[in-house]
Amino acid sequence: MSSTRLTGFQSLAGSIRYAGTRRRTAPRRMPGWLVSWLQAGPLAIVLLLLFFIPMLLFLAVSFFDYDRVGIYPAFIFDSYHDVFTNPATYEIYLDSLRFAVITCGITLVLGIAIAQFLIFHIRSSLTRTVLFLLCAIPFWTSAIIRTIAWIPLLGREGAFNQLLMALRITDHPLSFLLFSNFAVILAYVHQLTLLVVGPVANSMGKIDPAVLEAATDAGASRWQIMRNVILPLSKTGIMLGVVLVFTQVMGDFFIIQQMSGGQSGSVVSELSTEIQAMQYPPAAASAMVLVLVVAVFVGGAMRVVDVRKELAS
Amino acid sequence: MMPYAVELVAVTKRYGTTVAVDGISLRIPRASYCCLLGPSGCGKTSTLRMIAGHEEVSDGDILISDRNVTDLPPVRRGTAMMFQSYALFPHLNCLDNVAFSLKMRKVAKAERLAAAREFLTLVHMDGYAGRMPAQLSGGQQQRVALARALITRPDVLLLDEPLSALDPFLRVRMRDELKRLQRELGIAFIHVTHSQEEAMALADMMVVMNEGRICQSGTPREVFDRPVSRFIARFIGGHNVLATPSGPIAVRADRCRLAATTDEPHVSGRVAAVEYQGALVRVSLVTDPGDEVSALVPDSVFYAQPVQPGDPATLAWSAHDTHRLNEA
Amino acid sequence: MIAAGARAAPGKRPWTFYVLGTVFGLYLSFLYGPMIVIYILSFQGPNGGVTFPMEGFSLVWFRNIFQVGQMGYIPATFERSVALALLVSALTTAMSVAAGFAFRRRFPGASLVFYLAVASLVMPSLLIGTGIGLEFRFLGWQTGLFTSALGAQLTWTLPFGMFAMFAIVNRFDRSYDEAASDLGASAWQRLRHVTLPILLPGIIGVAMGAFTLSYDEYARTTMTSGTQNTLPLEIYALISSATSPVLFAIGTLTTVVSFTVIGGTLWVIFRIQRRRASSRPA
Repeated sequence: MSSTRLTGFQSLAGSIRYAGTRRRTAPRRMPGWLVSWLQAGPLAIVLLLLFFIPMLLFLAVSFFDYDRVGIYPAFIFDSYHDVFTNPATYEIYLDSLRFAVITCGITLVLGIAIAQFLIFHIRSSLTRTVLFLLCAIPFWTSAIIRTIAWIPLLGREGAFNQLLMALRITDHPLSFLLFSNFAVILAYVHQLTLLVVGPVANSMGKIDPAVLEAATDAGASRWQIMRNVILPLSKTGIMLGVVLVFTQVMGDFFIIQQMSGGQSGSVVSELSTEIQAMQYPPAAASAMVLVLVVAVFVGGAMRVVDVRKELAS
Repeated sequence: MMPYAVELVAVTKRYGTTVAVDGISLRIPRASYCCLLGPSGCGKTSTLRMIAGHEEVSDGDILISDRNVTDLPPVRRGTAMMFQSYALFPHLNCLDNVAFSLKMRKVAKAERLAAAREFLTLVHMDGYAGRMPAQLSGGQQQRVALARALITRPDVLLLDEPLSALDPFLRVRMRDELKRLQRELGIAFIHVTHSQEEAMALADMMVVMNEGRICQSGTPREVFDRPVSRFIARFIGGHNVLATPSGPIAVRADRCRLAATTDEPHVSGRVAAVEYQGALVRVSLVTDPGDEVSALVPDSVFYAQPVQPGDPATLAWSAHDTHRLNEA
Repeated sequence: MIAAGARAAPGKRPWTFYVLGTVFGLYLSFLYGPMIVIYILSFQGPNGGVTFPMEGFSLVWFRNIFQVGQMGYIPATFERSVALALLVSALTTAMSVAAGFAFRRRFPGASLVFYLAVASLVMPSLLIGTGIGLEFRFLGWQTGLFTSALGAQLTWTLPFGMFAMFAIVNRFDRSYDEAASDLGASAWQRLRHVTLPILLPGIIGVAMGAFTLSYDEYARTTMTSGTQNTLPLEIYALISSATSPVLFAIGTLTTVVSFTVIGGTLWVIFRIQRRRASSRPA
């Protein structure tokens, strides 16, 4: 290998450098924490002004006095008293929580199965991307319209019933398909499963394939690998998915109204009624209770899994 | 002209409460090839990164070409770094990668591309100018990274374990190239490695570090022939370290032989293993007191009188090959 | 988010492949069931209702979209939705990218910002919308699409954007930054010539995600939009007042538009990544 002589390689002493001294020069860099503050600042300010303050406002208003005409600044517990002594409150919460828990369960199982399939059974990266996209495409159409679309599908004269009767699986239309708890949960699962697939697939994708090979070498069956290796390592994604689904169900007012035909209510649908009636203090008190329930749940979930480490490390 | 390319004056690096580099002082002569050698965690990479300016110095000063650069950003130090992962920009082709530093200095396009081509030719990668880094092998990426660093015409080139990711054959070839390049360019190279073989082959000046301190620095011959401590003797390899009533000693394994009876210095024990290494055979013994020692015996000598594991044996050497170590 | 690397062992498919594959297939048909209904019923005949059977086949409901209705003029509402979504997307991207960079260091208050974002994400949307409406009332300001509604949507898109950026920035090798500064790039040059170009596909993803989130957002927007409607608000109003197949026609049309936009964006990302993998003339 002949060497190419570089004529006159001289280190550039002088042109962009100081004529320096052996003593130190003063440092000139902006401290790191200040740079980070400037970078995260806008986002933090927006969230403070448009999320935190409104929540504080709610808190304040929940202690206000009110009558038919308006609301008056005060510090009374009447609204809270009403909320906690009203048996309907507990019923509604129980209903919402029931829906939330069932939905979480179903979306979790379904979501993990789908994520498992996409991450561990699809070999080609291209196919995986395409399949993910296929799952995401429906969400480009308005969620409201998609929920409405269940009606012609599941109704007594709906397409699904027609299909079942044509196949002679039943001889009369199934009425539980729509305007029932079944329909509500169906719609929730339809809407929210992807919220589980995303984080769980992300977590699964981080598992070193060598770990799975080692488990197989050690004699674990596929089911054992799932239980003892994959699921524990995907804890964070699972927890994230569950939190997202739970909070979406607890915060929902549209799906439940539509799919139950108005029979069931949710915490938030009650809230929206009160808000529309301009009864802000009791609405605010209700809201604060809901915030508390959600905060307890999310806080608990985040204790179990350290989200901060996973997301921001 | 100043005699030293780099001077470290009581340089310390702390990460929180851990001290990674503990008040080291070093003088690296102009146009020399210096290797920083040591086990993982000894502080050699932190030292390199402090010289480069990618790590802040907790205490002490760093001088490059007689200028105090301790508080200067990397670009103003006269150094260029070759990263362990090469860090070639994936969105630029090789030519644009090499020309990057000139682009940052707002050099005109035609001029900087021509200069980049020159340096690609220096590292024999001129045929790959249009390729993207993703299309290159490890060795090729490294050469482009080298060209990219050298185009800035540094006073000192810093290399962070450049040969670790290469296969053994390529490693030896790149070693030759690096040495040749350093001679031709006449600048100082500071090369971090954990391989003593690599350091001995390349260095004009070898600096062995452990636990944040410099244990010994000197030419490879000095360090290998006269290690100052037990750690160095063990780390550099090829030495037997023995405790004697007058203090620890080291004897080169290749200066030991298997003897029957002798009145030279010796230890007795049993053969533990016999390892064929080609030109040499390594015979390990466990001495009666329980130390592990070995002899590197030329293969012809060994096979004239072979031994087997379990045989009793005596390891002997000449008195003048005994080398006294410090206590540490 | 999509894992790289072969995780499925080559060779014969295990039995779980077929089971999970079937589950996945069923899920897809479950997902697309309502979609098919929407597409079919948007061609409902002029006398047909929102349920089957189809009374003829016509484009009358598509034409209906472009007629001025009692509620409002759909194309104008659509334009407003798109404009708002573009603005939200731009703001979200800028602020999320910056915040993503901020979290590369440890800085005082980092946990606060993190939990603030988490809270903003999980709190019921209607609550937040109402809260902002309240806030504006107290300040004596008018709620409006490009003021309060914009802000409300940001509380939804910013956390998503920030967490997405965490994942993207995490994958970014610090050595690129150091190499760039080693070679003489100033902080701005580094950003422009190294960091942003390398992260570009991810950033485009964030922008696209934010656009989609804003475009379909209802709950936070409804309490803060003032007098003008976005498309989701309009659709909701239509449902409450006069449910007709025009809804499905809107659904079909907006799907086509979304498809084009998102498809185009993905194609751009694909092109960028392909260019990085193959030679470019020097």
